Amino acid sequence: MSGDVALRADAVTRRFGHFTAVSGVSMEVGHGEVVGLLGANGAGKTTLMRMLLGLLPASDGAVTMLGGAPNRERRRRVGYVPQNLGLYRDLTLAENLDFVAETYGTAVPSLPDDLLPYAKVLVGAMPLGAQRQAAFVAALSHGPELVLLDEPTSGVDALARARLWDTIRAQSDEGVGVLVTTHYMQEAQQCDRLLLMSHGELVAQGSEADVVGDTRALSVRTDDWSATFAALNAAGVPVILDGRAVRVADTEPAQVRSILDEAGIEGTVEAVPATIEERMLVLARA
Amino acid sequence: MTFGVEGVSVRFGDSAALREVTVEVPAGTVVAVVGGDGAGKTTLLRTLVREVSADAGNVSAPAKAELGFLPASSGSWAALTVAQNLDFAAGAYGMTGAARDERRTELLAAADLTAAKDRLASQLSGGMRRKLGFLMAIVHGPRLVVLDEPSTGVDPVSRIDLWRLIAQEAASGAAVIMSTTYLDEAERAGHLVVLDGGEVLVQGSYDEVRATFSGTVTSAPTPVREEWSWRRGHDRHEYWPDDDAPADQQVVAPDLEDIVIALSLARRLAGVSA
Amino acid sequence: MIVKEFRELLRDRRTLGLLIGLPLILLVIFGYAANFYVDHVSAAVVGPQAEQVAASLPDFFDVETIDANATEADARDLLRDDEVDVAIVTGDATPTALIDGSNLFAAQSILGAVNATGGKIEPEVLYNPDLTTAWVMVPAIIGLILTFIGTIVTSIGLVREREAGTLEQLAVMPIKPGTVILGKIAPYFLLASIDMVVVTVLGMLLFDVPFNGNVLVFALGAAIFLFAVLGIGVFISTISQTAGQAIQSAFFVLMPQILLSGMIFPLDAMAAGVRWIGYILPLTYFTKISQGVMLRGAGIDSLWPSFVVLTVMAVVIFTAATLRFRRDLAPERKVRA
Repeated sequence: MSGDVALRADAVTRRFGHFTAVSGVSMEVGHGEVVGLLGANGAGKTTLMRMLLGLLPASDGAVTMLGGAPNRERRRRVGYVPQNLGLYRDLTLAENLDFVAETYGTAVPSLPDDLLPYAKVLVGAMPLGAQRQAAFVAALSHGPELVLLDEPTSGVDALARARLWDTIRAQSDEGVGVLVTTHYMQEAQQCDRLLLMSHGELVAQGSEADVVGDTRALSVRTDDWSATFAALNAAGVPVILDGRAVRVADTEPAQVRSILDEAGIEGTVEAVPATIEERMLVLARA
Repeated sequence: MTFGVEGVSVRFGDSAALREVTVEVPAGTVVAVVGGDGAGKTTLLRTLVREVSADAGNVSAPAKAELGFLPASSGSWAALTVAQNLDFAAGAYGMTGAARDERRTELLAAADLTAAKDRLASQLSGGMRRKLGFLMAIVHGPRLVVLDEPSTGVDPVSRIDLWRLIAQEAASGAAVIMSTTYLDEAERAGHLVVLDGGEVLVQGSYDEVRATFSGTVTSAPTPVREEWSWRRGHDRHEYWPDDDAPADQQVVAPDLEDIVIALSLARRLAGVSA
Repeated sequence: MIVKEFRELLRDRRTLGLLIGLPLILLVIFGYAANFYVDHVSAAVVGPQAEQVAASLPDFFDVETIDANATEADARDLLRDDEVDVAIVTGDATPTALIDGSNLFAAQSILGAVNATGGKIEPEVLYNPDLTTAWVMVPAIIGLILTFIGTIVTSIGLVREREAGTLEQLAVMPIKPGTVILGKIAPYFLLASIDMVVVTVLGMLLFDVPFNGNVLVFALGAAIFLFAVLGIGVFISTISQTAGQAIQSAFFVLMPQILLSGMIFPLDAMAAGVRWIGYILPLTYFTKISQGVMLRGAGIDSLWPSFVVLTVMAVVIFTAATLRFRRDLAPERKVRA
């Protein structure tokens, strides 16, 4: 089985002095699989990524990248798109691609149609969508077998995001293993499998339903959303405004009704499917 | 009191950043402006707070003393503590003494930042820093609150918390307008505005937007017309503006992402410059 | 790797300017300005034998005033007011040459010339009897420190705001642009003033540098000069996007002032083609004021031209800087196509 996956972590732990950033995480990314890594700030995603890339040694446990321990040789076969693009802003797009080609000893990649107008433009002067696309081209140009992406679509509009995911899917179709971190819950739906981290541990993995688990959510509809919201918020209950309705996570319907009664508000309280964010909210409050 | 912009156009040199945009921000409402980079979100908000002067159209906004603004960049001074940042903002709006102290305590508690009040802003996480910026923008109880991408790059849990603070402000009667790249936030707003290339693609409540959306969206492993399709999970969705999808195609009820992408595509394929 | 670094460097104009331009400038300056040898000095001759003595002086002495009726006291006044570099008093058996010790290199050259007459003229060095370099340098260093704080430190402090993106926030708050500038330079004004006092006192204690003049005159000159350099600092901040750029620009402004203000190389000894630069630098005029007040006890009546020039500079620079800064805080005006 170990030869079959592109990336694997076995009970990986990382400590910084007294602080444990990552604790006993076991996960894998198969060839041709797109795995999404989710988690709040401080959940340990970045530390885990750095260990998976071999940039940081694990305190305990082992990381296997393309069949062996992460080292510079194996990293040649890995593509990485960091959060801040990984491109030089004061070089043109063509110059950046020249640099990457030289570094990996590959041919200079050809530009997709969308990026042709920007060949001689400084990366810093390109619009964000084009920058993110360029970052992909640069990271994938040496034909990696494993790709790690850190929030690759942050700030980009919906259409451009869909196009970037076309590229990601195209890669996985060819057998490349992909690990993506994202804060966009919609992108979670684009992945084959999800990993949810919280406080350094892997608390859930699998499909969206697996990740949501048994988190409960209620939707409260009344005539006066402002008063409803204010009353529930004042009571310290986790509320989320949803259009004209108010969602409440991880709370007994009876409690919600009693808060409404006290505030003299009439309305309906019904159970609704919870979202991944609500699961994360519950984990954070724990 | 309803604030907003009416028929506003803004040009920067040769390019049009906003083209005849009309957006209303009524009191007690959260208006979400959604769009990608370059759509004109920041220009719209900066025009509203009069940091940029419009070439055409009207701007209706209160005086600086009743206006709160959180720019897309940090919003707080890195070398000051949380409490010092709040005090500076309060002072700039003329709040002093006991009133200022009370307000600070109240806001920090609401945002769950009381424990961090003596921490330097530079040592806060992204989400906490944005919350601080938000508090600074509302410290003086403004009637219009303008937030430029308050949640971009912020982790999901902090985003929910920030959303709670923003909703509370609207619940107290302020007119709130915020820009975002997160469609789920736009879905949750009372009123959403989709911008693309400086124009309004569609606006209204989520229900209204869905109701006024014309055309059909289908889903299939491979598309019939490549240029009208986009990736969704393992399938591709396709937009048929004239409701002329072949009978064998599976129709899906479009969500906001479908609507935004479909309208953006229609705009681009109609030959309008992006 | 090398190619990439070169490409990035070629785009960074300020660094390039520093790497290529500065050595060239330094070379030119050192070639034309660096000159410790003064080839002529201005002289006044007073007393009964003024005419004869003046006629016998070598060409080195550029005699500007011959007044048989003027006394030694008049001669000393001329020196104090920096009208001449040397005043020769006749009337006694041997004429005395009163030499302005605050003009170090001229004084040394004069001393040499006078001693070469083989005892025909008695030299007496005023204001800096031992021709101590420190006595001349300390007043100039005071100006340098003020320049440093005013230019570099101020510009960095202001640019930090732009870098952090908080300038935008200030623009939307009900704070007037003038208040922002004032708030931002006040701490540096205070800091520079304290620094100046400390350096002056230390200089006096460590090197016995005298303070023969009016403290208020000195303080006034310092205040006007500070405004001028603070204005430069604000201006630099409006043309810089990062602290790194601000430092580079400040450096460009600082280097010429060190070399061409008369602090190290005497202005008179510079080739005319380079000397004019010295006359547009604020530090040149403050050095005249500080050296005049501290060493010669000169007053406003003789130093007023430097005061006027400094005031004009301060007003012009500060106004330009403030206008540019307001643009950052006020609504943008678009370039109409």
